[in-house]
Amino acid sequence: MDLAPQLVNFVARYVPYLAQGFALTLALAAASVPLSLAWSLAILLPRLSKRHWLAAVAAAYIEVMRNTPLLIQMYLIYFGLPLFNIFLSGFACGVLAITLQHGAFLAEVLRGGVESVSARQWEAARAIGMRNRQAFRLVVLPQAVVKVVPPICNQLIVLVKDTSLVSAIGVMEVTLSAKVIIERTGASYEVFVAVALFYLVMTTALGAGLRVAERRLALRFG
Amino acid sequence: MFHVLIISLPYLLKGAVVTVWLSLATISLGTLLGFALGTAGAVGPRPLRAAVTAYVFVLRGVPILVVMFLGYYVFPALGYRVDAYVAVGAAMVVYVGAFVSEIVRGAILAVPSGQIAAARSLGMRRGPMLREIVFPQAFRMAIPPLLNTALTTIKQTSYVSVVGAWELSYAAREVVERTLAAFEIFLGVMVLYFIICYPLSVAARHLERRYAFAS
Repeated sequence: MDLAPQLVNFVARYVPYLAQGFALTLALAAASVPLSLAWSLAILLPRLSKRHWLAAVAAAYIEVMRNTPLLIQMYLIYFGLPLFNIFLSGFACGVLAITLQHGAFLAEVLRGGVESVSARQWEAARAIGMRNRQAFRLVVLPQAVVKVVPPICNQLIVLVKDTSLVSAIGVMEVTLSAKVIIERTGASYEVFVAVALFYLVMTTALGAGLRVAERRLALRFG
Repeated sequence: MFHVLIISLPYLLKGAVVTVWLSLATISLGTLLGFALGTAGAVGPRPLRAAVTAYVFVLRGVPILVVMFLGYYVFPALGYRVDAYVAVGAAMVVYVGAFVSEIVRGAILAVPSGQIAAARSLGMRRGPMLREIVFPQAFRMAIPPLLNTALTTIKQTSYVSVVGAWELSYAAREVVERTLAAFEIFLGVMVLYFIICYPLSVAARHLERRYAFAS
């Protein structure tokens, strides 16, 4: 079988055409991952709030995000915002949509972690004189984060794959670049094999990196 | 304010019907494929297990949109003229199959080894042991994550519109191109998707809780 050299061959042929797309996909991922993590923490606090209406609003938001496709949310932002005289680039709309959706999913994962931390940890923290807020930040949240690192890693990998959807609103990331190459040059489906390999390398590298981070965290807090 | 949405609703509902059919077809076929692969990956011969692991590894690392594009372009390249639905549907089945197979494999391997030891000590052969002891317990555990995968799949059917198959999201874009009422149409379509997805997500959460108590 000379499948492997053949594969390398046509991957190599399209790399120069796809280089910009690769870069843009990496940029999308680099912007969306930290923003989604930050947003998930921002939703987690009201979701866990003792004020019922605040928790209900956060829960409703999470339900809407969980039960509607990212693509439609992205369209709503990209085509809807200009009607309110807000003009954002395709890139910004894509990052915003990904952050809003994945922030909600990550918040749910985090909430599962927080609720799995034993009530005794709260009580112990309160007993040594910590305020609620301190107890949450110094005792509960670190333990919760360590518990949920594996599902968070999975979610971040899904997030990185979802950056491909930004192609639907005209951002020339790697998926759209491949489609355009096929349409302009009559190239064949091999372009998408190259794109698939690129994503595979990216998600595998991310997964490996996150596993290292997981081990470090577990050593520090676990 | 929402009169464009009301006028376009029949057209959008036609799209929603296609979305539901596409979901049912890809979820059922993908789940069948996933059960076959997952079972082979857990209890099959070693080369088969390795093949399933490789299959799952590759597909889980690639976005479904890319797999759909591959499906869309690969059939003509191999000399088959197929319908766009068949091409993207096949891609979805292959993709869903990978995720289901991972769930099924995990569930089979999660059956406590004491159960297997007990079955052996009763003198059960491998076949009946798997059929009567291992699979029933494994499939019960697999139901909540399978429902979550089904939910994800319904949402992912919207991506076929990017490749060029007509369903709810495609219909929505058509209506917006004609009427420019982007905000109300996409908001309305979000509500339609929510109506399709919400019962399933409630069921998934309910079963998750029930099985969590049972174990």
